[in-house]
Amino acid sequence: MEGLRHRGLNGNSCRKGDDMEKMKVRYNQNAIDEISRLIQQLNLNTVCKEANCPNMGECYRRRTATFMIMGSRCTRNCRFCNVTCGPAETLDPEEPMHIAQAAGRLGLKHIVITSVTRDDLPDGGAGHFAEVVRTVREKNPDITIEVLIPDFKGSRESLDKVIAAKPEVINHNMETIQRLYEDVRPQADYQRSLEVLSYVKSKAPEILTKTGIMAGLGETEAEVFQLMDDVRAAGCNILTIGQYLQPSPEHIAVKECVSEQQFESYKKVGDEKGFSFVASGALVRSSYRAEEALSHEK
Amino acid sequence: MKETKNITMPKLSPSMEEAVLVAWAKEPQEQVQAGDVLFEVETDKVVCEIEATEDGVLERLCFEEGDPIKPGQTVAVLRA
Repeated sequence: MEGLRHRGLNGNSCRKGDDMEKMKVRYNQNAIDEISRLIQQLNLNTVCKEANCPNMGECYRRRTATFMIMGSRCTRNCRFCNVTCGPAETLDPEEPMHIAQAAGRLGLKHIVITSVTRDDLPDGGAGHFAEVVRTVREKNPDITIEVLIPDFKGSRESLDKVIAAKPEVINHNMETIQRLYEDVRPQADYQRSLEVLSYVKSKAPEILTKTGIMAGLGETEAEVFQLMDDVRAAGCNILTIGQYLQPSPEHIAVKECVSEQQFESYKKVGDEKGFSFVASGALVRSSYRAEEALSHEK
Repeated sequence: MKETKNITMPKLSPSMEEAVLVAWAKEPQEQVQAGDVLFEVETDKVVCEIEATEDGVLERLCFEEGDPIKPGQTVAVLRA
């Protein structure tokens, strides 16, 4: 993983120390422009842009993006997240078709679809999620589909709708260890998120389940291992761990720039604990190179 | 007639006010191809390698290593 070295902490981001290197990314304006134009033409949102992801340049260059459905404004206000909060937008009935078209035009073999959290909708937007999955599948029969879903406030009816659409992967991010929920994800609940994972697995064992956490928020190694045990007990197959970066000074501060050795150790322990795939590294994000986790399964 | 193009500093994140030029990957008058890394900058968050978007010869480099660059400023001039 050349180029992922970074150490040291100065203020609120993982800054360069005297003899230390920051994470290194590539930027190609042509790739950014091409994907951005397509996204704009089809009136879509990507989490790449909304989350200000450091990997955007690389992923766009590889002609892949993570689509964010149901608007660009979130009804929650998690302290790590750059997605705008505010009044929710009306659902766009054309959105499922537009996502399907974007997948076709980009020639995607694997698509990741996520959303803002829509606590305002009776089903949390699960029906719309399912419609997007079905439409993408219908227009792109060979594609594999990964959804990154909110907790739908724990509603089994909502989860049933998404499960019925049969995506290959259902990801629900735990985001952080239990102790930090109040600070990081005040409107979520650790047990509820675990139940999302275990319910999906119990209803549809053939669907791969996946979760991810941010490192560098003040968690201890023991707490991360506990989370691994908890999500494994919920049957979770795939785990991603990446360095949290503060989107702006208003967001929760970075407590620690996690070392490369620590990320490697998380991967090793995760493999031992029985995950079928663990991606652990500073620049890992939940949908970064998501297709690799799936190809590992086949 | 030779055609030149200004290579400008992209705004790499909403919070980025300036980036520091870490290193040039190319020299003046060097032939470059689209996709080649031209230079490396450091922002408040990451180190970023900026790629050429087209082929050409680097006619002029406008900054030296260590210089701060604001988004939109011309960093180099490329002759097609």
